[in-house]
Amino acid sequence: MNKLVTEEEIELVAKFMKIDVHDHKEYVEKVHSMIDFFNILDSAGVEDEEIIIADLPLSKLREDMHIPYEDNLIEKLKNFKGNYVRAPKMI
Amino acid sequence: MTKIGLEIHCQLTKLESKLFCPCKANYRDNEPNSNICPICMGLPGTLPRLNQKAIEKATLIAMALNCSTPEKIAFFRKNYFYPDLPKNFQITQLNIYGDTSIGGIGEITIGEKKIRITRIQLEEDPGRLIYEGSSSKNQITLVDYNRAGTPLVEIVTEPDFENPKQVRDFLKVLSDLLENLDVSDPSLEGAMRADANVSILGGNKVEIKNINSFHDLEKAVHFEITRQESLHSRNIPIVQETRHWDDQRKITISSRSKEGDLDYRYFLEGDIPWIKIGIDVQEKLKSTMPESIVSKKERYVKNYGIPEQVAEVLSSDKYYSDLFDESHNQTNAKEISNIITTDLMGLADTREKREQSKLNSSHLSDLADAILSGKLTRNSAKNALYEIIKSGKELSTIISELDLGNVSDKNKLEEIIKQVMLEEPQAVEESKSNPQTINFLVGKVMQKTRGKADPQLTLELLKKNLD
Amino acid sequence: MNLKISALEFIEEVKTGNISVEDFISATIDQIKNIDEKLHAFLHVNPESVEQAKKIDKKIKLGEKVGSCFGMPISIKDNICIKNSKTTCASKMLENFTAPYDATVISKLKEQDAIFVGKVNLDEFAMGLTTEFSAFGPSRNPWNTDYVPGGSSGGSAVSVSAFECVASLGSDTGGSVRNPASFCSTVGYKPTYGLISRYGLISYANSIEQIGPITRTVKDTAFLLNIISGLDPNDNTTIDSGNADFLTDIDSGIEGKKIGVIQEMIGDGIDPAVLSATNDAVSKLEGLGAICEPVSIDMVKYSVASYYTITATEAGSNLARFDNLRYGYDLPLEGYEFNSYISKARTKFGPEVIRRMILGGFVPSAGHAGKYFLKSLKVKSKLTKEVNDAFTKFDYLVAPTVPVLPFKIGEKIDDPIALFLVDINTVIANLTGIPSISVPFSISNGLPIGIQLLAKQNDDKKLLQAARALETTVQLPEVPI
Ligand SMILES: [Zn+2]
Repeated sequence: MNKLVTEEEIELVAKFMKIDVHDHKEYVEKVHSMIDFFNILDSAGVEDEEIIIADLPLSKLREDMHIPYEDNLIEKLKNFKGNYVRAPKMI
Repeated sequence: MTKIGLEIHCQLTKLESKLFCPCKANYRDNEPNSNICPICMGLPGTLPRLNQKAIEKATLIAMALNCSTPEKIAFFRKNYFYPDLPKNFQITQLNIYGDTSIGGIGEITIGEKKIRITRIQLEEDPGRLIYEGSSSKNQITLVDYNRAGTPLVEIVTEPDFENPKQVRDFLKVLSDLLENLDVSDPSLEGAMRADANVSILGGNKVEIKNINSFHDLEKAVHFEITRQESLHSRNIPIVQETRHWDDQRKITISSRSKEGDLDYRYFLEGDIPWIKIGIDVQEKLKSTMPESIVSKKERYVKNYGIPEQVAEVLSSDKYYSDLFDESHNQTNAKEISNIITTDLMGLADTREKREQSKLNSSHLSDLADAILSGKLTRNSAKNALYEIIKSGKELSTIISELDLGNVSDKNKLEEIIKQVMLEEPQAVEESKSNPQTINFLVGKVMQKTRGKADPQLTLELLKKNLD
Repeated sequence: MNLKISALEFIEEVKTGNISVEDFISATIDQIKNIDEKLHAFLHVNPESVEQAKKIDKKIKLGEKVGSCFGMPISIKDNICIKNSKTTCASKMLENFTAPYDATVISKLKEQDAIFVGKVNLDEFAMGLTTEFSAFGPSRNPWNTDYVPGGSSGGSAVSVSAFECVASLGSDTGGSVRNPASFCSTVGYKPTYGLISRYGLISYANSIEQIGPITRTVKDTAFLLNIISGLDPNDNTTIDSGNADFLTDIDSGIEGKKIGVIQEMIGDGIDPAVLSATNDAVSKLEGLGAICEPVSIDMVKYSVASYYTITATEAGSNLARFDNLRYGYDLPLEGYEFNSYISKARTKFGPEVIRRMILGGFVPSAGHAGKYFLKSLKVKSKLTKEVNDAFTKFDYLVAPTVPVLPFKIGEKIDDPIALFLVDINTVIANLTGIPSISVPFSISNGLPIGIQLLAKQNDDKKLLQAARALETTVQLPEVPI
């Protein structure tokens, strides 16, 4: 098992990702083996590689125009109060 | 030494639509959640549709602040969970794979002070939270997403400011510049917000977040310096932290750093290709760039002999300088600059007043011409201006309706003068030994004509009659 | 009613008046009723299908203009939005989500009078390659119901293979169209990245995935591409590929074309039956006049690790929006604070999704991005260079679609690494953006084997010509249902 990645670390990540994880074993073990598998990347020898990304000329982008949405979208969503979306309290 | 750095958030309020969808960029004065669509609500399956003009306007800002502008720009995701963020990530910019932010390193000089710009980035504004419920048990947060996706430009400076005064001077220049570029209306509520970082004596840096107006920014910086100095004088260490500006109490408050805020897992937004802004596009943008405030001022002084100070005031406000540029010609330019800076500024000093004003540029040139040709006294012109702003009527109509025209009819004026001389025999007598007394008599004539008498002619005629 | 016809045959039959749309759709719905309990391809069957068919029949009768699909029954993977119908991504998290808009591909098919007979099964949020990770239960392979149909577009491939529709749309993030197509003996197509709009496809790994057709024949795929491809203002990543009509010249053949056989995909870990099928395919391609030579692509070794790192990162971010506030299931807010509420709400995600989200929180995090995420992007770039290099010498590349035969349900579900390796032949097309197609090629012990052809970016039309050529050399038994 990869000692570089601790169980606590994985639990912390789950917390960051906002998921209550109950069955730790189920997740920690499999996630560990996946991360272990990723270590193969270290031998790919790609350190000097440049990252290539597709690009688009500015002229192809959307024109600045206001077009109102045809429906009253808020009514199709849940949790609303009046016209507001409800969320839990913030601390 | 005190070091202050700023992160200014400026909404591009002059755009029609949001950054990634065709909803209105001006979300103000709308029913809650009525300016939303599947895209800005981050509904599953939707993709950002980047606004071309937003990139152009943001590039103009970068150019005006003398920042480098890259040939290709990239967008990144800043991942964190918050109810005002429909996708739970914000699409923003960063320079982790080379300089791909809309503006790179730049510099602006304010008086003698050089302020270095670190970076300018284009990003989306989140929605707004409203807190409801009094007891903590049944508290609920309400969210209005009308603002979500509004185009926002973030201007990050180096910690080059040394005191709140420099911050204020910079903000003044910056808001004038943004307005002059026609990218934003800084007077709109919430259009300009800022974060600041403050350190004293090379100590720890404190971030202040949540400053919702430029007005408060200076206060917040001032408060924070005082707070840190007070700690320092009592030998209490200044901790590196994030504090929030409480705009009710006008103080900064330590905010517990939230877990999850620690790592935004920035990575490339794959739904938006890198956007090529080639040299040709940049050149084209440059050519459409409005004349800078500095150049306007120079032009006003050089071409029309307008005094430096008047030119400064006139050029730094887009509303006035636009009016001036549309109305003047070589002869009446100076007179128009006078009307604007002495009279109009008092009558159209707020957003609302400007919006309601019916004044246009031809009114201004008419007014100036009437003054120059002696048809109106400056005093009457001021009254006429007041009426024009209110009604928008033609100057000639107002002159006849309010009977503002100069009394420049020699006979009529002579009659009035004779009457005044009869009523004021003592002054007439005195004027023979004391020439100053003549001014008193001019005043009396003005009184009788309600300020409409041509002052030059009045003086002439009085002198003639007294001799 | 003979349901075992291709899309083009269906159109011909309707046009000539040999069949009515209503009869065909009714028979299709009956077929679904009869066999889907066993196969579980469908999550939702469209109750208005027959009514819609009647309307099209009426238009035909009145001589009104009818769209080019003529009421063709199509199934749609349940991660593609159809307005006012449920789109669940086979997740409990979206069990009650009704899409308020149509995906671009859906609008285009609606305009051409296609009938959506239903939404079909997938691995939850398309994360998987067996359809076992559906929150609503696995789909089964019509060739042998003890076996997985592949995934994540398992429901799409099953429904086409078992005559529950004429064609289907799936999505392919790392093989999710081609893998089930291979396992179920159908054609599966992953287009050049940007050829088809992703607007309305619920994102899993948005920088590499594409919607793709699953059909009975290569020509049917070309027909569907004609309808659903093209620039879309709602998707800034769509491209103008310059391909006009994908159907014209589809029978041009491959005489004199050079084909590279990817060595890394016929070595270690390949099932002998798959290897022999691949060798057979190479001979057949040569028989058609092509010149086949071995080619090596070094980065293939690292492609799976790169692929899973990139997909986990993007998934972690793409699925962040599912916080149950604006849409989702009923879970009262009272008594929770924001973080505790959404952390609780998000436990509705299935275990595989949760694992990928944890990975997605880990590999791009400040402390680990350099070791994992950044390196993966660099592998992706280098792989793209190697593949582009190969295309300077070759017109096409060939490899088995999947290195193994379909396996039993439950066989690999607990071994994530074994599952990873099933993807090894398909992920390169996604990482490099090139088009790739799986063509049904042979049956071994009653289980299908597909052959994958790849072409360079924007050579979609040319790729279909090779696939069509290969298809003509194949005679396959009928699916035993
Ligand atoms: Zn919107």
